[in-house]
Amino acid sequence: MASRVKFENSCEVGVFARLTNAYCLVPAGAASQGFYSVLEGELAGAVPVVRTSVAGTRIVGRLCVGNKRGLLLPHTATDQEIQHLRNSLPDEVVVKCVDERLSALGNCIACNDHVALTHPDLDKETEEVISDVLGVEVFRQTIAGNILVGSYCTFTNKGGLVHPQTSVEDLDELSTLLQVPMVAGTVNRGSEVVSAGMAVNDWTAFCGSDTTATEVSVVESVFRLRDPRAGALGSVQDFFTSGAGLLPEPRQKTRLC
Amino acid sequence: MVQYNFKKITVVPPGKDFIDIILSRTQRQTPTVVHKGYAINRIRQFYMRKVRYSQQNFYEKLSTIIDEFPRLDDIHPFYGDLLHVLYNKDHYKLALGQINTARNIIAKISKDYLRLLKYGDTLYRCKCLKVAALGRMCTVVKRISPSLAYLEQIRQHMARLPSIDPNTRTVLICGYPNVGKSSFMNKVTRADVDVQPYAFTTKSLFVGHTDYKYLRYQVIDTPGILDRPFEDRNIIEMCSITALAHLRAAVLFFLDISGSCGYSIAQQAALFHSIKSLFMNKPLVIVCNKTDLQPLEGLSEDDMKLVMEMKAEAMKTITQAGGPNEEGVLLTMSTLTDDGVMAVKNAACERLLEQRVDVKMKSKKMMDCLNRFHVAVPKPRDNKERPVCIPQAVLEARANAAAKEKKKLEKDIENENGGAGVYSASLKKHYILANDEWKEDILPEILDGHNVADFLDPDILVRCEELEREEGLRLEEQAAEDAFQIDGHELTQEQKEILAQIRKKKALLIQEHRMKKRTAESRPIVPRKFDKDRKFTTDRMGRQLSSMGVDPSAAMNRARSKSRGRKRERSLSRAAADGDSMEIDGQQSNKKLRRTSRSRSRSRAPEEVIPGEGFKDSEQKKKAIKKAKASTRNRNKEARRGEADRVIPTLKPKHLFSGKRTLGKTSRR
Repeated sequence: MASRVKFENSCEVGVFARLTNAYCLVPAGAASQGFYSVLEGELAGAVPVVRTSVAGTRIVGRLCVGNKRGLLLPHTATDQEIQHLRNSLPDEVVVKCVDERLSALGNCIACNDHVALTHPDLDKETEEVISDVLGVEVFRQTIAGNILVGSYCTFTNKGGLVHPQTSVEDLDELSTLLQVPMVAGTVNRGSEVVSAGMAVNDWTAFCGSDTTATEVSVVESVFRLRDPRAGALGSVQDFFTSGAGLLPEPRQKTRLC
Repeated sequence: MVQYNFKKITVVPPGKDFIDIILSRTQRQTPTVVHKGYAINRIRQFYMRKVRYSQQNFYEKLSTIIDEFPRLDDIHPFYGDLLHVLYNKDHYKLALGQINTARNIIAKISKDYLRLLKYGDTLYRCKCLKVAALGRMCTVVKRISPSLAYLEQIRQHMARLPSIDPNTRTVLICGYPNVGKSSFMNKVTRADVDVQPYAFTTKSLFVGHTDYKYLRYQVIDTPGILDRPFEDRNIIEMCSITALAHLRAAVLFFLDISGSCGYSIAQQAALFHSIKSLFMNKPLVIVCNKTDLQPLEGLSEDDMKLVMEMKAEAMKTITQAGGPNEEGVLLTMSTLTDDGVMAVKNAACERLLEQRVDVKMKSKKMMDCLNRFHVAVPKPRDNKERPVCIPQAVLEARANAAAKEKKKLEKDIENENGGAGVYSASLKKHYILANDEWKEDILPEILDGHNVADFLDPDILVRCEELEREEGLRLEEQAAEDAFQIDGHELTQEQKEILAQIRKKKALLIQEHRMKKRTAESRPIVPRKFDKDRKFTTDRMGRQLSSMGVDPSAAMNRARSKSRGRKRERSLSRAAADGDSMEIDGQQSNKKLRRTSRSRSRSRAPEEVIPGEGFKDSEQKKKAIKKAKASTRNRNKEARRGEADRVIPTLKPKHLFSGKRTLGKTSRR
């Protein structure tokens, strides 16, 4: 299920949190206890929810990237932070520092457990590190003309959401590369930086609290977050084509007329 | 989006009020007191200000009128034509044109009189000029008062026009008078339109609003239209025609099949055919009204034929993608019994919506939106399995979601422990370590000036063990080697002595060299030939070597061969060979040669007496020089100031730096 949360009065939860299938990183700090508790309530027991800073900042989601196999940190991360993360994460997760000039890895790399999209200017060595540590195929891509792939798209093993201006051909290409269904959309009441506005993994999603019901329903259906036993939705395609989804017919017409 | 709201136009005052407003404002807003005794400039300024101020006011007022009234060419053609029909475009434009002219004339008058006022030489004349200027301005305004009155009327009428948005979803009702248009309007909207059993009850356009599929539609009730040539139509009918011509709307053509309105079906069909050009590209619904009096099935064959003809025409008005669709083109209803009213509304709205969506889908802007409805489904590019990864714990938690008790969250712990700001959560609480006791261990960041993390190695234990094993091996090897080693070579007594001597000599040489080196920089380099000590001669070397029992001959030979011989002097033979002229001097000594070849210096010796210096002879002069030198010797030695040194007695003489620089002082300074 997708939940709507706020991080210290900011709706850009994807900026502050990094959620994967094996762990969740959130910034430390007494003021964000509420945010931490929401994530803890949803995730604890299944995966560790780790409070940490990266390079002394709280924009954890923008600075690091990872999946169930590993976690990549920018070269600005301090030794103590790396040690803290190594201690907090299970042994299967490899924590590694990347010596890359573009140190906001979260903005430059988007990945799930099998495929990663990267910024076109990333170093060759970084690319190798990504494929070794995260165990993924790496593709250099842009999203709707934006080189910051990590900001403008977010995807899991089940589905993906990209920048709203992505053309249909690009969507098809991305979907074939990533081997998951893709949809162009927004979060946080029309924000096009989808990755900044949400944190998502294979079974749950956290969107900024500005996200509208329509946006939430798109997120839930494209990432297939609803309980499969409910059987309400066979597939994403059904949702969008049948019009039986939460996106009501008249709403579509409103946009058209 | 342009808003068509004519309710906000400012009131246009009639000519007389207009003048009063301006004059009283001039009186109130400019100074009122002036005296004969003032400087003439001040008096002129006083009156010029009055003239200028009233002109500005006139200008502003007239400009607002010109700006606020809509320009018929700039607004939506529907409103343009409607205003033309209601008020006559020419008249309207003329009125506005007159206002504009008046504005310009007033500006010109003011300019003229301001120029004249510059030459006013008394208060009286200035005042007269001002009166004349204001008088002329007022006359101009008085002359346009009919236009002002006309514009005011138009303004009042326009404010009462229905606010129709020409771009939104619109349903337009038209038909012969008295066929039930307004009744339908009253049924589907909350507009309370007057319904009376006579023709032309509705004399202008009315607007109501209705909802369909959560969207707002404006419904426009038009006055009835009669079937007659275009030129003969009156203003009321022309309103309907304007609306039909310019609004992109769904048109409901009302047909009174009972004929109770006073017009037969044939007449109504004729009207339909004469105005059908206005229906092009609009969804058209033919509504057969008053079925309570006369059901559609009960019509005579001729009438039925006419109705079917109209239906065929109505289907042609828009070209639909899926071929002509019969549904919703011909409908029956009765506003009296409410029979089919909603069906008519829904059909009209549905068809309008369809058409608008069609148009929008074709527009370029739509491409930006369409991609959001597209779900890109991956085509398999390899046979690799990419499974979803959901931990077992999550699945289990889902399975018994109902039985889940509330977890104790970090927030609850915080609240229990004194709330925010008091409680500080430990980040190490959830560490996953081999031993739980290690969790709170403190790891130093820096130890002995080194960053501990640089030396951190997760495999340290394994490597340490390896290293220890290696070290053990090495130690063993060394032990074996040590046991095996031969004793050191012993020197004989003689050799030891020689070695000691060598070392001693070496030390001496080094010391000497160092001493030399220390003074080397400050000492002049003395050529070898002045080496009075004769320390390093070949002979000496030979002696030394032989004393040590070594044959020195080889070394001496080598040293000699190395040393440079005496430099060859300039040979006389060569000079002699040069030429005959030199031959005579051939016998002369070297010294003489040099003397004759050089010219003598022109300088005199210091002791040479020059006539006029006052010395008796050179002896005396020598003495004097000696004395002078002796007198300065001590002073120079102590570097004291002498009489030859430059002296500035007073650095800043008082008289040069004080007082005024009046005439004639500069040169003295």
